[in-house]
Amino acid sequence: MPGGDGALGRPPSDADVGTKEASERLVPETSVSPSTTREEDVRFESEALPFIDDVYRFALSLTRDASDADDIVQETFLRAYRSWHTFQPGSDARRWLFTITRNVFLRSRERERRHVDIEDGDVEALTTFATHGQMVRDGSDQILSRIDLAPALRRALDELDEPFKSAVLLVDLEDQSYEAAAQILGVPIGTVRSRLFRGRRILQDKLITYARDAGFTTAQRGQRGTKDD
Amino acid sequence: MTDCNDEIDCRTAVQKLWDYLDDELTPERMGDVRRHLERCGSCLPHHDYARVFLAALSSAKESEARAPETLRRRVMETLRAAGLNT
Repeated sequence: MPGGDGALGRPPSDADVGTKEASERLVPETSVSPSTTREEDVRFESEALPFIDDVYRFALSLTRDASDADDIVQETFLRAYRSWHTFQPGSDARRWLFTITRNVFLRSRERERRHVDIEDGDVEALTTFATHGQMVRDGSDQILSRIDLAPALRRALDELDEPFKSAVLLVDLEDQSYEAAAQILGVPIGTVRSRLFRGRRILQDKLITYARDAGFTTAQRGQRGTKDD
Repeated sequence: MTDCNDEIDCRTAVQKLWDYLDDELTPERMGDVRRHLERCGSCLPHHDYARVFLAALSSAKESEARAPETLRRRVMETLRAAGLNT
């Protein structure tokens, strides 16, 4: 007890999210850790299982499907139990479980792992706020003060693809720092930053579409704020 | 992001605006951006917009979602089948 890479309390494979080898190293499919003892089981029950609601909510946010979320939660806790000997006592069990949750989710969405991080966070930020300037000019910024954005954003999140969705969920909805999100996702902080900012930009674009569909834009500045009912 | 300049331009301020709102900059850089926003009428609206956007995004969290009882039972059954002994 405990093994693995120790300091972060993460399964040793999690820095390699997305590789088959990593998945296989994460948890032997058929084995239970030989070091599992009743004492460790008690620790698992008291330290890991209380986060089942957090894991369920994260899984539900990722999948947007209750049945799929159930499957991911079940698999997450099974893998967590089998990897429990790699967990560093005293480290963040919730973060560790999120890492496994996302790995399980990615395995269930194999095709969504194929992506390339090419954008720069600074560029994403500049683009986002340039778009905001355009929103002010065409009146669609009115949507921010005129309607409850949460339902529109939930729909937009549903449609957001990986890997941007996980970055947004972890930082913006689960209040993880860039560093914590980087540990969970197994990527550098700069990658989290670029994915996060891109994800926010995509959500912003979807809000603009929503605003236009709802009639919150005007062709002329003088008509700003007049909803076309 | 570790430079300590008293003055930053609009481009730099906007590049770092998300980091600023996420409290992810060094204290020096946080101060640089804050001072820029206090005196820049062009960047402040972006800041206000981004803050509202993030608040709305945070409120989209399904904080009430709880794992159903059936799922809790299923997880425990799975764990016990895998050897959990408590």
